Amino acid sequence: MNQFFTKIVNGSRKEKLEKSLFFLLLLVLFKFLFPLVDNSILIIINDFLIYSTMGLAFIFFNETTISKSENPISLVLNVGILSTILFFITSLSSVIFDKIENIEDVNGFFYTVISLFISVTFIAFVVYILSALKTLYFLREKLVTENYFLLMLISLLLASFAGTLSKLNTDLTFIEKTFFVVSIVLIALNSFRVSWIAFLSKRQKIFLLFISIIMSGLFGFNFAMFSETNIIEQIVSNFSPGARVFYILIMLHGTIYFGIVFFTTLFHLPTAGAFDQKREEITSLIDLSKLMTQVLDFKELADSLTEATNNVCSSDSAWIVIKDSDDYELISVSNIGYLEADGISKSLLNEFELPQTDVLTLNRKLIKIKVQNDEKVYVFQSIIIAPLKVHNTISGYLFAAKRQKYKFDRDEIKAIGAFADYAALAIENAKLIKKSLEKERMENELEVARNIQSKLLPDENPSSEHLEVDALFVPAFEVGGDYYDYFKLSEDKLAFVIADVSGKGVSASYIMAEVKGIFEALAQVITNPKELLIKTNDILGGSLDKKSFVTAIYGVIDIKNGILNFARAGHMPLLICSEGELKEYLPKGIGLGLNFNKKFNSNIDNMEIKLNNNDIIILYTDGVTESQNVDNVDFGLEKLKSVIEENCNGELSNITKNIFKEVALFSKEKQQHDDLTLVLFKWKN
Amino acid sequence: MADFNVSSREDGEVSVVKVEGYLDAHTAPDLENEFNKMIERKRHKIVVNFSELNYISSAGLGVFMAYVETMREEDGDIKFSNLKDDVYSIFDLLGFPVLYEFYKDEEEAIKKFR
Repeated sequence: MNQFFTKIVNGSRKEKLEKSLFFLLLLVLFKFLFPLVDNSILIIINDFLIYSTMGLAFIFFNETTISKSENPISLVLNVGILSTILFFITSLSSVIFDKIENIEDVNGFFYTVISLFISVTFIAFVVYILSALKTLYFLREKLVTENYFLLMLISLLLASFAGTLSKLNTDLTFIEKTFFVVSIVLIALNSFRVSWIAFLSKRQKIFLLFISIIMSGLFGFNFAMFSETNIIEQIVSNFSPGARVFYILIMLHGTIYFGIVFFTTLFHLPTAGAFDQKREEITSLIDLSKLMTQVLDFKELADSLTEATNNVCSSDSAWIVIKDSDDYELISVSNIGYLEADGISKSLLNEFELPQTDVLTLNRKLIKIKVQNDEKVYVFQSIIIAPLKVHNTISGYLFAAKRQKYKFDRDEIKAIGAFADYAALAIENAKLIKKSLEKERMENELEVARNIQSKLLPDENPSSEHLEVDALFVPAFEVGGDYYDYFKLSEDKLAFVIADVSGKGVSASYIMAEVKGIFEALAQVITNPKELLIKTNDILGGSLDKKSFVTAIYGVIDIKNGILNFARAGHMPLLICSEGELKEYLPKGIGLGLNFNKKFNSNIDNMEIKLNNNDIIILYTDGVTESQNVDNVDFGLEKLKSVIEENCNGELSNITKNIFKEVALFSKEKQQHDDLTLVLFKWKN
Repeated sequence: MADFNVSSREDGEVSVVKVEGYLDAHTAPDLENEFNKMIERKRHKIVVNFSELNYISSAGLGVFMAYVETMREEDGDIKFSNLKDDVYSIFDLLGFPVLYEFYKDEEEAIKKFR
């Protein structure tokens, strides 16, 4: 039995409709077969069919009424329309038609059709009304009061059924009366469930006040008309005496319920405005917290805040200023001119020794400001200045002003304080988001710079019978601007360059790209290293900004004869390890970009060195010698020299590896902050 | 990060800027501000005292490169004094001594302006 019920209740809307229509169809067939119900078995079947149809229809209607529970007024209107229709049918027909003198006489086909139509309509309406009342009953109810309603339903059914029984046997009338009275008591009890009224807006309450009294009256009339004999009452009563009782009880329920609704609404009306304001406050706070998580643009949020301030706190104007280093910037206005708000807030912020940490309320304030050379005077009944503060730092102020009559009350001041807190949080949020976006952008930029750099560096080291080449490049997280390259000038001549661009990141990588272009082009034209660097400096003069410079060593190795010719522009010294002994070569030369005239040209020299068998040339950038340990001590040239000297006789790649190992060990606890580049040549006879 | 501090005093028409600590990309703006103030007040004869400066990066060097032209155009200069050996060697390697005047002593640098 229980399972059967849950199956019906949990079924889809369509299934519920199908089931109720099925029983309705059975009822119709039954009525055509037995237009006159005159023995007890038929009466029982008749009532069983009617109550089953009603029950199923009730379950079906619940779907509709519950879906309208968001809007109780429309539900009430539905009930109102139905009760009006019932009222018109009953009253008009009782005026037009006389009552039927002997109900047993009318049993023709026509009567059956009319009777079915009217009765089914009435029952359907009544069931819908009951369903609507049930939905209203459970609306906004916090306590578990389901049992009261169920009890009422059962009582209603029993009273109706007793109505049928008393028709069979007039001795049983007392049962009907008893249940009738019990039902009325339960109806009265249940009619006090009207807490949903409190949540209506003021306008809705006024509307409800009018329709509830009309509806209570209509239900009352419907009840009264059915208590007397008239044609409709006779038809329904003949259809099923129980249905008549049911109808009467529901009409009574409507009368009582809407009567109570009327009085409740009446008592709620005086506080409706205040209630509306509180609700507006809560809704706008909820809306704002939603906005906080969705809106990245602070200005947009600020606009919602000033608007909400005006709506909730009944201020005439509201605006927000944000602290911008020493000045205040006006970022949002609501219902006030931009210039006016700017002038007023500046005047107020000057007058009072802000920052205030609490909400400041000023009453009867006269403010003189200059707007476009005109002096204007503003009179405010009340102005509130609420600081926007996060972690005790004030990032701006929310202003709310009333021009006329009333001052702000305590709740309004509190609400303004709450809005100010929201604004403060939003500013903080916006700042954090901006920061993280900037960080992301920087990381993306660095990624670009690293890509550029890795593309600029040679893919492989050239090697030949007489010349072995090895290189090591370790990029820093922030691209450092190191660059090295080889240019094969002829079969016997290899040119090389090592350079370090000042600065870091994308800008350094662009200069690197330019430098590579210049060297690549000039290497094919100028063989003299000094001349080449002078020319490079000239070209860079047109593009390098004042703060940037490039250090470089450019050299040419005559592989066949073992002659190194090079020039230096401000770069680290060139080292040569010859027969276990390390020598430092430092011809004079200014960094590229430090000077673009004679001084550069006259202060640079070529240096020519005759290489011995197995001599090793070492080029490096300051990333190697300036690698620091935790105590900010540099790795230094001396240490570099000793590592090289120790490994001078081994494999070339061994030297590179050992230098890197030593540098890494030395600075293991510190982040590498500059690129690290090593280029080594070993000449063999 | 290591600290940096910049302060200045006036000796006649010469301004002495004292730099302390670590001058790198993060602290360079402090020195730039100082130079901007000097230019605003039309003080173009500047001696930078390096006695308390421990480290200078390429960004730090860039500050001097950026301002020296302006000072020289206005008949002034930026002269360096009291450099520690390791700091001087950075300038030296880059060839700064060819382009700027370096002095052992602050007074000597100030005198050169007169």
